[in-house]
Amino acid sequence: MRAATAKTVVLGLGNILHGDDGAGAQAISRLRADPRVPTDVSLVEGGTLGLELLPHVWDCSRLIVIDAVDVGEPAGTLVRMSGEELNSLPGNSTVHQLGVSDLLVALRMLAERQPEVVLLGVQPLSTDWSCELSPPVAAATDFLVEATLRELQPLAEPNVVDANS
Amino acid sequence: MARIVVDPVTRIEGHLRIEAEVNGGAVTDAWSSGTMFRGIELILKGRDPREAWVWTQRICGVCTTVHALTSVRAVEDALGIEVPENANLIRNIIGSSQYVQDHVIHFYHLHALDWVDVTLALKADPAKTSQLAESISPWPKSSKNYFKAIQDKVKALVESKQLSLFSSGYWGHPAYHLPPEANLLAVAHYIEALEFQKDYIRIHAVLGGKNPHLQTYLVGGMSTSMDPDEPGATINPERITFLTELAAKAQAFVDQVYVPDVLAVAAFYRDWFGHGEGLGNFLSYGDYPQGGVKDPARFYLQRGAIFGHDLSKVHPVDPANVSEYVTHSWYEYGDGDQNGKNPYQGETKPQYTGPKPPFEHLDVDKKYSWLKAPRYQDHPMEVGPLSRMLVAYASGHPDVKPVVDAVLAKLNAPATALFSTLGRIAARAIEAKVMAGQVVKWVAELGDKLGHGDLRVHNGEKWDPDTWPKQAQGWGFHEAPRGSLGHWVEIEDQKIKNYQCVVPTTWNAGPRDGKGQRGAYEAALLKTPVADPERPVEILRTVHSFDPCLACAVHVVDARGRKYTPVTVR
Repeated sequence: MRAATAKTVVLGLGNILHGDDGAGAQAISRLRADPRVPTDVSLVEGGTLGLELLPHVWDCSRLIVIDAVDVGEPAGTLVRMSGEELNSLPGNSTVHQLGVSDLLVALRMLAERQPEVVLLGVQPLSTDWSCELSPPVAAATDFLVEATLRELQPLAEPNVVDANS
Repeated sequence: MARIVVDPVTRIEGHLRIEAEVNGGAVTDAWSSGTMFRGIELILKGRDPREAWVWTQRICGVCTTVHALTSVRAVEDALGIEVPENANLIRNIIGSSQYVQDHVIHFYHLHALDWVDVTLALKADPAKTSQLAESISPWPKSSKNYFKAIQDKVKALVESKQLSLFSSGYWGHPAYHLPPEANLLAVAHYIEALEFQKDYIRIHAVLGGKNPHLQTYLVGGMSTSMDPDEPGATINPERITFLTELAAKAQAFVDQVYVPDVLAVAAFYRDWFGHGEGLGNFLSYGDYPQGGVKDPARFYLQRGAIFGHDLSKVHPVDPANVSEYVTHSWYEYGDGDQNGKNPYQGETKPQYTGPKPPFEHLDVDKKYSWLKAPRYQDHPMEVGPLSRMLVAYASGHPDVKPVVDAVLAKLNAPATALFSTLGRIAARAIEAKVMAGQVVKWVAELGDKLGHGDLRVHNGEKWDPDTWPKQAQGWGFHEAPRGSLGHWVEIEDQKIKNYQCVVPTTWNAGPRDGKGQRGAYEAALLKTPVADPERPVEILRTVHSFDPCLACAVHVVDARGRKYTPVTVR
């Protein structure tokens, strides 16, 4: 049931001082200026926080997370993960241990009903110290914004196309 | 002899590698390596000093406000700006509530799993857990049914394989010795602490305009508007009521859940008063001004240093005595790496000479860390809640001393037992209790000011860069939750010429210096017992007791080898 209490949160993650890691934050600032974002959607720029973001997401019915995701693809590649694909993510070798996956588990423990969670990610080129995105990731940010907007359309057609099709 | 490598140390914020030599079941030597390069100094060069705080608060992925505060204080110091009393008060409330928030999160979410075996919680009898809970605290959530429901929730989570939050414990390790009921109690409070932290931090959302990344700091004070008659003002009577409620709830949680839990867990692990002793040197810059930052005698938490475990003498602290070594760090100084440099002369020139990954061991005789080695009067120092509480205790702090004495009495331990892994955990709980009380008082004080029409939050006299000297330098400090934080700024022609941060975890996790003296982690790990080198939970206990935070977190999700769907946009 979504009814009156439905709440959608778009959460952009990443460190704006670390090059492509700032893609999530960039996407949020672009979405803030975009009139196509429904007014009841809450846009949150979460930096590199994990559990500390609970106050923003604990009562949402849909959560769209935007982050740099290392999948070993060419820089700028966009990926979408949802449902079981998000279980126990990320692995033990992650730098930021209490990160997005812990947030999702905390949600499972606290929330009355489980939100629908989607992760939209972009493959980074470099996360060295810099306030700028690399050219391929900067270019991909346009698509990241479009992909997010499509997630926000309630009856959108699936925006996922099989890589082979 | 075995060399144990723990990399990354999990359940910390950031990236840390520990190498430890183990002989006869105990650590005989240890090396701590921060594996990420900190380059904020390079990003700040040439920028307007009034905006430095906006950038520095992005250094850290956890306590975002601490660098913002330290940065505005550094620039205010350089330009000779005194902030209005209200600004100090608001900064004090933000800082002290950050302690309460962080210490609770540290105990339950970052450290508890070193002591609590979640899998044993599933075997607990909820009725006995209820008895245990009621014997240690009046906290109302203590019924048998409540604990049964928690147990079912955890069971469901384990079955769904979504264990992320609990995935890095060494379950079944012989070093865990809480009874199942205590484990279930701790797991229940782990979940309650999640709930607690999500509500409490709204204090920052109110005072900071937003959270995370508060936006109400300003060189010269705060931009938090105060007005008793304006519903749109950040601070009005209605907001004071809201803050008062949050502060009171937090105080109840700390008094009735956090502190009793620490005491209960500690009672089962009293041997850890004998491990993790460390340097015996403690530093606190002091903080929470009650009359301006230039008057440390009136700070709520005292400034001071303790050397060689000697609690009979608290030494004065002068930031001119801080220096940083790079002898064992991947940087180079223009005039050689053997001597330390005060941060005003500090340089950040990265020079990686370590092995190419993947590798087995670092060459610890040479350079082996991305952290510099800070020293005070050439002594390695421990910083953090234990240092602050020891300085306060040794100075006879009227609020701290009775709480420390009560905790020691309850655990039947002498003050010297605080020099330990368990001592750090106890000190953090003591500090949370004392500071939760201060948040209540300072919010009331702010309400009083509002009532009396004292609404000034910013001093704009030197906002215009044309009023600045051609050259200026300043030191900003803050006792962040994890310890002494300092920013050193040099301003020339209205721009930042040099900026150096010496952060708490650099003090604690830094490597050896030019004289070969160990850093705080390295010293604390000596003699730590290790029952099973494959699963060195004991090493984690001591390292985690410092609440490691290797700032400059990067947030890339590692999804290599996982299932995902490529997205194309039409």
